Amino acid sequence: MLKINNIKKQFPSVRALDGITLEIKEKEFFGLIGPNGAGKSTLINIIVGYLQMDEGYIEFNGKDIKELGISYKKKIGLVPQSIALYEDLNAIDNLKIFGSLFDIPKKELKEIINEKLNAVGLYERKKDLVKNYSGGMKRRLNLIAALLHRPEILLCDEPTVGVDPQSRNAIFSYLQDLNTSGTTIIYTTHYMEEAEKLCNRIGIIDYGKIIALGTLEELLNLLPPKKSIFFVKNGLTESKIEEFKKFGKISINNSKYKLEANDEFRFSEFFAALEENGIDERFIEIYKPNLETLFLNLTGRIFRD
Amino acid sequence: MKTILKLVSKDLLIFRKDKVALAITFLVPVVLIFIFGKVFGVDSSQSKIELGFVNESTSEIAKKLEKSLDTSNTFKLIKTYNNEKNEVVKYDTNTIKTAIKSGKFSSALIIPEDAYTDTSTALKLKLYYDPKNDIEMGITEGVLYQTIMKQLPEIFVKSMQRQAVGTLGQEKGIMFNNEIARTINKYYKIDTAEILNPNINFNPNSSDTQQSNIFQNILNLESEQLVGKDVANPMATRSVGGWAIMFLMFTITSYATSLFDEKKTGIMIRLLTTPATRTDVLWGKYIAFTTIGIIQLIALFIAGSILFDIQIFEHFFELLVIIIVSSMVCTSFGMFLSSICKTSGQATGLGTFLILTMSAIGGAWFPISLMPEYIRIFSKLTTVYWSIEAFLDVLWRKLDFIEVLPNVLVLLGITIVISTISVIKFRKSNLF
Repeated sequence: MLKINNIKKQFPSVRALDGITLEIKEKEFFGLIGPNGAGKSTLINIIVGYLQMDEGYIEFNGKDIKELGISYKKKIGLVPQSIALYEDLNAIDNLKIFGSLFDIPKKELKEIINEKLNAVGLYERKKDLVKNYSGGMKRRLNLIAALLHRPEILLCDEPTVGVDPQSRNAIFSYLQDLNTSGTTIIYTTHYMEEAEKLCNRIGIIDYGKIIALGTLEELLNLLPPKKSIFFVKNGLTESKIEEFKKFGKISINNSKYKLEANDEFRFSEFFAALEENGIDERFIEIYKPNLETLFLNLTGRIFRD
Repeated sequence: MKTILKLVSKDLLIFRKDKVALAITFLVPVVLIFIFGKVFGVDSSQSKIELGFVNESTSEIAKKLEKSLDTSNTFKLIKTYNNEKNEVVKYDTNTIKTAIKSGKFSSALIIPEDAYTDTSTALKLKLYYDPKNDIEMGITEGVLYQTIMKQLPEIFVKSMQRQAVGTLGQEKGIMFNNEIARTINKYYKIDTAEILNPNINFNPNSSDTQQSNIFQNILNLESEQLVGKDVANPMATRSVGGWAIMFLMFTITSYATSLFDEKKTGIMIRLLTTPATRTDVLWGKYIAFTTIGIIQLIALFIAGSILFDIQIFEHFFELLVIIIVSSMVCTSFGMFLSSICKTSGQATGLGTFLILTMSAIGGAWFPISLMPEYIRIFSKLTTVYWSIEAFLDVLWRKLDFIEVLPNVLVLLGITIVISTISVIKFRKSNLF
């Protein structure tokens, strides 16, 4: 559906994108994650046509987006990172402004606006000024403002920053429904659990390059297979920890004992040993590799901003 | 107290780090004090008032007066103009009146053919003027009197003697003049011959004030107002254009800040992901702010009409045209600001600085004719100057559309130039 071919973008002091090649398939929920300054927003801004690329090209359904022009713009929607709304206007006026630019007939636009406001629970507050909305309400309005023209691809640039769990879940649920009904979504986020929960496929971007790409399972397979088990440090575990050396290497990690399992490790044997030594499972944390581990593994732990 | 001091140092640090605020704090007062100093300062040699001049007399006195005015530090005599064939032609009474009516200069001195004959008891002069500015007219009249009095005292002594003869008859008049001369000789020890036949090299600087008082009645300086005679409220009518344009520019500066605000909030990127292009956004804003400007100016002039009896309906079409082009030029100014600044703060700061400077040198606060000539060159580069002149053309001089057209074209020209530069800058930069 959307092919990004060898995109390069140089800013005066930094190479923001260094040959990004990516294909987004139809109806896909694609996650783009990366540290601050990795190039996520630059890539989004280039895909929506806000920024010019220095090199490369983007194809939408096999045609260069530069040639498609306005017809391409009508197929995409953007949920910007910031609350891109006129705070001194009410929800309806905001939506009318953005919707009218897509030449949607007035009557149809009115129906779409009501439908979208209903869908995100803002219908009752539609005449309130946006500045009087809570952060979550603004985020929800920010989302539907990008959907009035029913885009085929929705680009969400960190759409849940600073919202409460209720609003976040409402946004997730809405986006999942949207994706199920056929909208392709490109989603950038800092929250790994969001990407894990929502995305069919994830790309990790760093220093302007895609450094990992695949489904969550494929990405997690990139991690070393070793398991880690943490023992909460207390009198009991302290006295019994020597008994677990046969399962792997033990070290102290943040007031916990960390057991790095060896190749012969079996959970059945391990749980039997726990029971034998009278250690309750509550004092045990079994480390399960997740996207965050992979992310930190690939991008490192050094601050980027 | 410690807390307050810490808070004080916090604010001073923020102020120090804000380069724009820092620049404005020091630049605005320096520039304004410079302009005020130049206008009201002592360096009058650099700020000559343009005075139209026609000498129809062949008398020695007229030649002497012309020479005196020519070398005056106050006036720059305008005696010629370029006609349609670009030939240099001398002004006559009719052409100089037309020049004043069209606003080329504010006043003209005419020395008529019969200014001073062998039988004249007074020097006859004619002053045509357009009182579009009180300060300028006050200075022109005052200095004109002073110059004439200083340079030509001897004719007034003769005139007094002729008046005595004319009133008392030949014999009694001569006796009266002799008696006066003897009395002056008795108390002031001045030779009677010198009094009765004044020296052509009479030194006027000895007692300027006394001479001026004595001679004032002998100078027949006939003044005729050519412009604004039937204006109901001259003061308000003359100043409304300048103030209107200054306030409009402040309003339109929000053009620049709104672009930055939309960029900052992400609205700009949202707008640009719709079918709207950058050019659409730019011109959409341009037309919106021009419309706001037009509405603001119309409201201002209607209020002026109701409250101060400013006659706006006499040439309403012409006024409307000026309002439209003034709004266009002000919006272009806002657009230009947003194209050269990088932040909303910079645009506000630079806007304030430029508006105050342009208002000062463009004639919104005091007449540019009192400014040094090099500042006058810059005056004509400001939108304020041309807008004020255009409003004066319509409200004060009551000119028709064709006569107003040159100013309209200049304003349109400035609009096109500024807008083109802005669009080029926008295209080159990643401003939004």
